[in-house]
Amino acid sequence: MQTITSPSFRAGAREGFRTFLPLSVGLIPWALVTGMSMVSVGFTPLQAMGMNVIVFAGTAQLGTLPLIAVGAPVWLIVATALALNLRFVIFSAAIAQGFRGLSSGNRWFCGHLLTDGVFATCMAKMLATEDRHWRLGYYLAPSLWSWLLWQGFALVGVFAAGSIPKTWSLEFMATIALLILLLPMAKMRPMLVAAAAGGGTAVLLHALPLKLGLFAGIFVGIAAGFAADHWPKKQEAA
Amino acid sequence: MNVHAFDDATLWLIFLLTGLATTLPRASFIALGSRVTLPSVVQRALRYAPAAALAAIVVPDVLLVSGELAPLNPKLAAAGAAIAAASLWRNPWLPFVAGMAVLLGLRWGLGL
Repeated sequence: MQTITSPSFRAGAREGFRTFLPLSVGLIPWALVTGMSMVSVGFTPLQAMGMNVIVFAGTAQLGTLPLIAVGAPVWLIVATALALNLRFVIFSAAIAQGFRGLSSGNRWFCGHLLTDGVFATCMAKMLATEDRHWRLGYYLAPSLWSWLLWQGFALVGVFAAGSIPKTWSLEFMATIALLILLLPMAKMRPMLVAAAAGGGTAVLLHALPLKLGLFAGIFVGIAAGFAADHWPKKQEAA
Repeated sequence: MNVHAFDDATLWLIFLLTGLATTLPRASFIALGSRVTLPSVVQRALRYAPAAALAAIVVPDVLLVSGELAPLNPKLAAAGAAIAAASLWRNPWLPFVAGMAVLLGLRWGLGL
């Protein structure tokens, strides 16, 4: 409590919010689409908002919905979510120093709220600032704002989807959303190799039971991306 | 139109496990503090997981129709339109408008 009322926490919160506010508008279509997609696979509003609060991750939610829709095994759904979230291990390692001096409870709470947008916006100043109260405010204000936007507009999407006829194929909005997430990644050559190998493997092995083709695709994709990144360097060194 | 076949309890179990599969990677190094660092080889391998997983989900979805390879189908055309809209304009809504317009236009207009 002492932290939250401290002037430097408030100063940090104001600065973090001001920096992040213009970017946060980009969350709105994602939240709406995620809300609509959850309803389109047959979730009740309570189930949809339950997933939205518990998981709080657009990519993992949109990515697992097609698997939930076809009744894939639970372990595969969770493993796919994990693969989609592995980037956060890298983000977490990169920004960890920014939470130095904070309590373990605060660090878990902040970790739960870590999103791509807040990571990209806040990392540099989090690492460079000494005052831990300021850092906590600077991180929490945009994170909690993201959380509110995410829940609010997903709720709008959930109720908007309920009033749209099934023939509108709203579930395809999730596919579009995943494609757009993939697009900036595919601009880097090893990422493109990883995506092509992952997608190609999944298509070739689509007839395997339990959607194992997807699992194989993820592994082949990681290996291919790693190889594409590694081989040219080895040749340069030789 | 897909509607899932899980009962309510299984669905909530999936949410909880997926939530764990999200919060644990996110909190990992933040919660551990700065004592532990990730080997750079592992960091580089992990970078490719999201691209590989996204493509493994999306590519079969737009290339296959009832389990058969269908290089000309409304979903693929719609995906192309969404990608074009996302590459040409900054507006975050346009890819959804373009993709859905092409999908529904081809399905309703041409009966594909």
